[in-house]
Amino acid sequence: MKKGLILLVLVILITGSLLGCQPEAPLEQTSNPPSSPSKLDSINTAGKIMVGTSADYPPYESVDESGKYIGFDIELMAAIAEGMGVKLEWVDMPFDSLIAAVQENKIDLSISCFNYSEERDQQVDFSEAYYTSKDAFLVAKGFSGTIAKPEDVVTLKVGVQSGTVQDDWLTSNLIDTGLLKEENLSRYERVDQAALDLQAGRVDVLMLDEVPAKNLVSQYEGFNIVLSAELSTGPLNIVLPDGDVALKAEIDKQIKALQDSGKIEELAQKYFSE
Amino acid sequence: MPQPILTIKKLTKIYGNNVIFRDIDLTVAEGDTIVIIGPSGTGKSTLLRCINLLTHPDGGEIWLDADEITAKGANEDLVRQHIGMVFQNFLLFNHLTALDNVKLGLTKVKHMNDKAAEAKAFEELKRVGLSDRAHHYPGQLSGGQQQRVAIARALAMDPRIMLFDEPTSALDPELIGEVLEVMRDLSKSGMTMLVVTHEMGFAREVADRIVFMEKGNIVEEGSPDDLFYRPKFERTREFLWKITELYGKKENADGPSAAEDTESNQPAAEENA
Amino acid sequence: MDVANFIKYILQGTVYTLGVTAVALPSGLILGTLFALLAVYGGKTLKQVMSLYSTVMRGIPPIVLLLILYFVMSGEINLSPFWAGSISLGIISSAYQMEIVRGAILSVSAGQMMAARAIGLTRMQAIINIILPQTLRNAIAPWSNEAAIIIKDSSLVYALGVPEILRRAQLIGASSGSYLPAYLTAALIYFALVFASGRLLGLLEKKLEIPANP
Ligand SMILES: Nc1ncnc2c1ncn2[C@@H]1O[C@H](COP(=O)(O)OP(=O)(O)O)[C@@H](O)[C@H]1O
Ligand SMILES: [Mg+2]
Repeated sequence: MKKGLILLVLVILITGSLLGCQPEAPLEQTSNPPSSPSKLDSINTAGKIMVGTSADYPPYESVDESGKYIGFDIELMAAIAEGMGVKLEWVDMPFDSLIAAVQENKIDLSISCFNYSEERDQQVDFSEAYYTSKDAFLVAKGFSGTIAKPEDVVTLKVGVQSGTVQDDWLTSNLIDTGLLKEENLSRYERVDQAALDLQAGRVDVLMLDEVPAKNLVSQYEGFNIVLSAELSTGPLNIVLPDGDVALKAEIDKQIKALQDSGKIEELAQKYFSE
Repeated sequence: MPQPILTIKKLTKIYGNNVIFRDIDLTVAEGDTIVIIGPSGTGKSTLLRCINLLTHPDGGEIWLDADEITAKGANEDLVRQHIGMVFQNFLLFNHLTALDNVKLGLTKVKHMNDKAAEAKAFEELKRVGLSDRAHHYPGQLSGGQQQRVAIARALAMDPRIMLFDEPTSALDPELIGEVLEVMRDLSKSGMTMLVVTHEMGFAREVADRIVFMEKGNIVEEGSPDDLFYRPKFERTREFLWKITELYGKKENADGPSAAEDTESNQPAAEENA
Repeated sequence: MDVANFIKYILQGTVYTLGVTAVALPSGLILGTLFALLAVYGGKTLKQVMSLYSTVMRGIPPIVLLLILYFVMSGEINLSPFWAGSISLGIISSAYQMEIVRGAILSVSAGQMMAARAIGLTRMQAIINIILPQTLRNAIAPWSNEAAIIIKDSSLVYALGVPEILRRAQLIGASSGSYLPAYLTAALIYFALVFASGRLLGLLEKKLEIPANP
């Protein structure tokens, strides 16, 4: 009887800690006021900065087979860390997890080909832009239609990586307006799945960032960019913890310095020229 | 008169709205072998389960020697040690050898050391004629052998009284004899026994008293001769008649003496009619 | 790209897969067995609590619990991705293993308990000496299933950035453009792990088998 009681308490504790505490966590987060100490202090004290990225998006960020991080964002961030005088530690995570990880202080900041979006701005802050890229419409061998302007895709089966700015753009400009039927838009978790489906003909056209699009063109025979435009894609920004003014100032300062020194242009040349 | 080993006073058992039996009285004296007979569903198993507290009565008292075991605060685990129980379907512990089946209670309940427990367990197996099967698992034994191990397991605890609930009714006819023989010897050695069985040959030979239960009532009890030759109630005779018909053939396999018994039963019952 | 390096890179993720499994499977077993005993032998309330626990935990996708534990509850407890993943899988597995053990207990006849009590064993002694040894034997076969599920579900910790097999396949696939070989390698490793665990449990089952005449 006594044993049963102890066990009951145990079970309640476990389930309680799982379910009961859940609503408290977000409260605590939002009540984290801007007056709390800046991450910059802890970064400087630790002498290192923890940066999250989803290293599956060459040429912005990827790993070589020794596990070393390489890419445009990677080298750029390395230059920023060097400018700050701290060591750089990479944390790889799926793209979808990165914003949450910054919010929940699992990492200091994230660079992973992020674009500014109002929705994300509610949850985190953005640095000044460090680079601007375009959207591309990518088709496979044997595509016979014409895509002169973005709206021309509404008669086609369209693929997009879910959660990206391109996804947002298609949803708000073509789906919500009723131009493109929901069932004609396939959302993929990763670019590679989308590319494989494009090759197999399950979708007619992919909308994605121009740089990785060019990359796919070189990987898949017959892939072809039929239209490039600056639609969804604004400038690329680094994702920062919400309200951390000091950290944002420091990162912006570093970006400005790298733009002025021509380092960013040099990196773009290295990674984006075909 | 010496104190009975087992005294049952006004025992009542109810499952939900179903009164299994009400106000049953029964006493068992030291060294007696009592056989309980009666149609199935009458509450015989329930009565045995009440006696060793595997289920709890809803009224009345059970006394073991001078202690009321149904009293509040009685140590049930201790009570069960003193009451051996043998089940219809043997219920040996499947994952243990015959020896370990018998030994387990000695080490875990009686806290004997391993060596002493093993020696005693082996003795008990010898007593039921199974010393050569000590290291066999239940799955490697015949039904008759399993039931003998189960008897040894109960005996090992040195019980004051042994309860048997239709110990042979799950056995093939050719295996019944070896179990009855063990029980016969046990009874002769002076063990107090309460046996639910329909083996009338055994009952006639061994029982000091036969108790006839029907629909939760003790209809009649008395010596085998009383019940077989001079039953007070028509119902008793009818039941005995039926049961001899039913079980008589099975018992023929048990040897000439049993066969003799069954044959002699029928004219007796007729005689009385 | 060097094929050996390519495979080696993905193979290195096996450490994490095995690590997560090595935490989740046994802790799920211990909790699951405990909960199963409560569900079978506990009082009415306890039975209901356990049944609720089982229903809720089996209803939650592992990834959701994992994200809750790692991201949402980070204020209360600061778990590393590895531990957040292992613990959530262990918790969910405990519900499944509870059902496995519960079924196994029920398949051990009620008579075994009765026979144990009849010689004077306490309930606890009966559970430890009679019920569990038989139950756990019966549970080995369904466990191969559970082990396979955990080995495969362990890939979910990739969502927290643990560089296990699947995440490594994604990364190396992305950088080399050779997705198919990368995922095939991952599939092969998972298959090998599941196959090996099944064989090991099969051997264990055989070894613990209770002898019986055919
Ligand atoms: N655990 C139980 N719950 C409810 N009813 C029961 C239970 N055990 C036995 N009974 C009922 O009690 C009656 C007597 O059963 P039992 O003692 O097994 O009879 P017998 O052994 O004489 O054949 C039967 O009607 C049976 O259905
Ligand atoms: Mg019965």
